[in-house]
Amino acid sequence: MSGPIAQQTSGTTYQQSQGGQRGGTLADVVDLILEKGLVIDLYARVALVGIEILTVDVRIVVASVDTYLRFAEACNRLDLAGTGNAQGLPEMVGGLTESGAGRKTKGALQGAQEKLKETFGGSEPEKGSEEDSEEKERQPARRRPSRKEDQE
Amino acid sequence: MTTAGPEQGEQVPQYVYGVTRPGVAVPEALTGVEDQPVRLIEHERCAAVAGDLPVQRPLRERGDLVAHQRVLEAFLEAGGVVAPFRFGAVLAGPGAVREELLAANAERLAEVLDHLDGRVELRVRGTYVQDAVLREALAEEPEIADLNDRIRRVPDGAAEAAHYDRVRLGEMIAQSLERRRDRDGQALLEALAPAAEALVRKPPARQEDVVDAAFLVSRDRRDRFEEAVRDLGARHADRITLRLIGPLPPYDFVPEA
Repeated sequence: MSGPIAQQTSGTTYQQSQGGQRGGTLADVVDLILEKGLVIDLYARVALVGIEILTVDVRIVVASVDTYLRFAEACNRLDLAGTGNAQGLPEMVGGLTESGAGRKTKGALQGAQEKLKETFGGSEPEKGSEEDSEEKERQPARRRPSRKEDQE
Repeated sequence: MTTAGPEQGEQVPQYVYGVTRPGVAVPEALTGVEDQPVRLIEHERCAAVAGDLPVQRPLRERGDLVAHQRVLEAFLEAGGVVAPFRFGAVLAGPGAVREELLAANAERLAEVLDHLDGRVELRVRGTYVQDAVLREALAEEPEIADLNDRIRRVPDGAAEAAHYDRVRLGEMIAQSLERRRDRDGQALLEALAPAAEALVRKPPARQEDVVDAAFLVSRDRRDRFEEAVRDLGARHADRITLRLIGPLPPYDFVPEA
């Protein structure tokens, strides 16, 4: 394998879209659609017929005071019954695994089988709701309060 | 659906989704931007996947992006090879697509298609399970645990006073996450790389992201790759949530210039 593909293996300078909206899996590909792919004007002189092209607000992670406070808050609210000294920790992790892991793994698999077409179109409502729950799982900051399950 | 159309003369602008092989069947009833039928405009070894763009309005709506992706996915799903164009490629008319795009770049486009033949892009994103990594940080890094303790002992009334301590704590945690990410991200990529032909690692978008990478995977090894992701996901499920997205048109594996 030589040529363009091999060149691509070495990482890129590309920036990830922050994905301001989490409506569906469009958020997972919008950066590709807008920032990747063949660029036509490198290949041909194009009359762009007055079309205004969408641009994406690209940001990469910038650590901010807000982020810091969020972490501090999350850390403070952890049940500390075993932190500092490591005992009790395996138990907690074990608890997490039980309640969380099964779902997570399944989530990954569903992701694989998901056709973006379906999640995009919203033509299949049950897919849509599945997607919703998966989306929420990806937001630990907001979702984590369901800590009761783990405290057993 | 594949009619070259009688409107040949009147120059309807063409939205170009990507490039594929000539003779490939256009998936039935496939429509793209503005609900326009999709057709192939062919030239020797390449064919543009295109559709009329009768109206002149800014292409910026969610539906436009969805249409772009939908068309490419349909070709991918039908088993064909398709080199995706970046969103927003428009040429003056079918003639321009054939001459300025396909004929003028015949060699190059054919080469790109050869490279992509029989392969799809799969994207893997990993995110930390926040509480789990926070616990790790507290357990493994005494400075973090100490500061956390101190902040917790601040009486409610004096919470304001601890503001800077909290910022400092958060900063230490962010740095800790970064170190973990370097380590974990690398390990995840190394575990998956053997099942793929190429990979592109993307910078993380959020602090709690571990890895975001695109893999070029041969269609006949896709199962193997997915299994590798599944295994990896199961192994790390207590602290990392892995997501597999795709198959996608190989956006990350076409030359940028």
